[in-house]
Amino acid sequence: MKQETVRRIISFSLLVILIVVLSVTTDNFLTADNLINLFRECSVVGILAVGVTFVIISSGNNLSSGAMLGTVAMVIARLYHSTALSVTGILLCALLVAICLGALNGFCVGVLQIPDYIATLSVQMICQGLTYVLAIRTPGGQITNEIINNATITGFGGKFLGTPIYRVTVAFFGLALLGQIFLRHTKIGTHIYAMGSNRKSAEYSGISFVRVKMLVFILSAVCSFIAALYLTGRNATTDVASGTTLSFQAISGAVIGGASFAGGRGDMIGTVIGVLFLQILKNGLLKYGLPPNWQLLLSGLVIVGMIVFDAAYNEYMEKRTTKAAAIAREKKGAKS
Amino acid sequence: MKKLSNILLATLMAASLVACGGAANAANDANASQQQAATTEQTTTTTEAAPAQTTSGGGIGVKTPKKDPYSDPLKIAWIPSNATEANGTAWGKGIQQELAYWPNVQFDIYDGESDADKQNTVLSDLIAQGYDGIIIQAINSAVLAPTVTEAEKAGIPVVCINLDVDVPHAGLVAMTDVEAGYAIGERIAEALNGEGNVVVITAKPGASRGERLQEGFEKSLAEHPGIKMLDAQTAEWNMEKAQVVMNDYLTQYGDEIDAVFAHNDQMAEGAGMAVQNAGKELIIWGANGETKALEYIEQGIITGTVYTNCYNQGATAARVLLMNIGSTVDTSTLTKTPVIKMPPMTVDASNVDQITADMRW
Repeated sequence: MKQETVRRIISFSLLVILIVVLSVTTDNFLTADNLINLFRECSVVGILAVGVTFVIISSGNNLSSGAMLGTVAMVIARLYHSTALSVTGILLCALLVAICLGALNGFCVGVLQIPDYIATLSVQMICQGLTYVLAIRTPGGQITNEIINNATITGFGGKFLGTPIYRVTVAFFGLALLGQIFLRHTKIGTHIYAMGSNRKSAEYSGISFVRVKMLVFILSAVCSFIAALYLTGRNATTDVASGTTLSFQAISGAVIGGASFAGGRGDMIGTVIGVLFLQILKNGLLKYGLPPNWQLLLSGLVIVGMIVFDAAYNEYMEKRTTKAAAIAREKKGAKS
Repeated sequence: MKKLSNILLATLMAASLVACGGAANAANDANASQQQAATTEQTTTTTEAAPAQTTSGGGIGVKTPKKDPYSDPLKIAWIPSNATEANGTAWGKGIQQELAYWPNVQFDIYDGESDADKQNTVLSDLIAQGYDGIIIQAINSAVLAPTVTEAEKAGIPVVCINLDVDVPHAGLVAMTDVEAGYAIGERIAEALNGEGNVVVITAKPGASRGERLQEGFEKSLAEHPGIKMLDAQTAEWNMEKAQVVMNDYLTQYGDEIDAVFAHNDQMAEGAGMAVQNAGKELIIWGANGETKALEYIEQGIITGTVYTNCYNQGATAARVLLMNIGSTVDTSTLTKTPVIKMPPMTVDASNVDQITADMRW
């Protein structure tokens, strides 16, 4: 079996075990209300995770996805309050801002060759700064959270076409599906994997590093934009701190799902599993009524455990592959 | 093989989604019919008992209490903005001590981790899990408003402690805010004989308590034209940030500053440290009355604070919540949040010893 298949089976089994344990030990996990809410709560993180997965597969990371969400949300709130633009105009402007910020990430990493962590951390700060600059203030200079009274914008936080499922959940699964098709069945998707597996050989075969990096960061930024729509819609306002804590959750979801920081590995199905795992874990901890400090500690430990396991397992598999290759070479040598 | 397993997984996920959607529909239908039955029942009882109290006229609605809060099993949650802060812990302890008298009540604490989105997530989870009542210190009055309305509509009364939301709900148990801000303004004006400059270190933007404290403070300043407010910057309730803000003030305004007003004690403590390190002595007022602030008053690092007994405040919130769970008033139809104000006590070096050890939090 291929390494990816084994990894997929492991993460999927963990998810199933978690679901079974929670269904058996608590009486209100498998209720419709709880599941719909669970899907709703994981979806904003999930949408960000879809974007981050592209970046991680190309051998990189994006620490700015959450902060970018906050900036885009603030752009929407600001334009809604200070201009007479139509909603379409506002959303287009916000999308443009997101694409520019994504391109800034891509420029720093691709053209300036700054390591992903440093580049995206700087962009995260730029985003937070922008959010504060754009924030709506009272004449006295205090930041206020003005309510957005627009049915189209608040509608993003609502339910999907009369079903009890929230629009954000549909968007999450839809984006994951599109992302999966894009990654596995298009030429550009293959380029992203190639760049992540081995940059040099990818470049030798004519794939542009700059283009791939630009693409993955812009895709991630567009995901931040979509996530911002739903968060703004749900809250009917935005806060200067919105989104800032979500970057880490999105990365955790992708990594638990099997995306590797070494690049070249992972896909959207894995990310969906990872995000669901994280959310169900948190949702489950709530049900056990643990003291708050223990909830935080336990969810942190589980994430660390998954990542450590992943690293150890990867190393083991790599050793096995090298060993197998060496044996094969020896056999070949003996024959000739 | 890989493709096959991928497709299989995708189908599985899609199937689970559809499945839970279907289940929810059924549940919703069941709910709807139950609600309908309940409404008919209500209308009949209402017309008999009190014809004026119907929802149709835009007045306050009537509900049939789902549970007797003093005997049926109850689940109650407390969501502080940050479970590790002094007042969050003290309120939690106060609620817990009060609810401990009721063996039918299960009490859980969920940390908001100083993040309004996180509080929203927890709140949604608790609604889905069918909690009977929620006490919350809302970090952001606007961001949390829609979810609080959602809870109220689901029949879960929400009581806020200190930090309120922008929509009507079951109740708010608050320290005095406008009055406290006014009282502090008066004390500063008195100490400066009506002439001097004051700087303010403000609450987290969007926090209702900060806005009300400031409102009261400015009301007092308006009565003392000799007192000038030089600047007001936020330190987001945080001690370290307050030190930075105070240092900035000292660099920018230097000796012009006569007094400092911080929207909570932690920020007053931070300002006190900054002023002490700069080798200066200023009039510094905080609000809330946590133990450390009282000690700082005794040591002369800060001047005074407005003290509230947080254990008592937590217990009060718990009582208000139990009352609302058992009440026939449908709190989701209220047009204004009922407010309970905790009695304030203006504390400085002259009376700090009146707050005994068991009252300190």
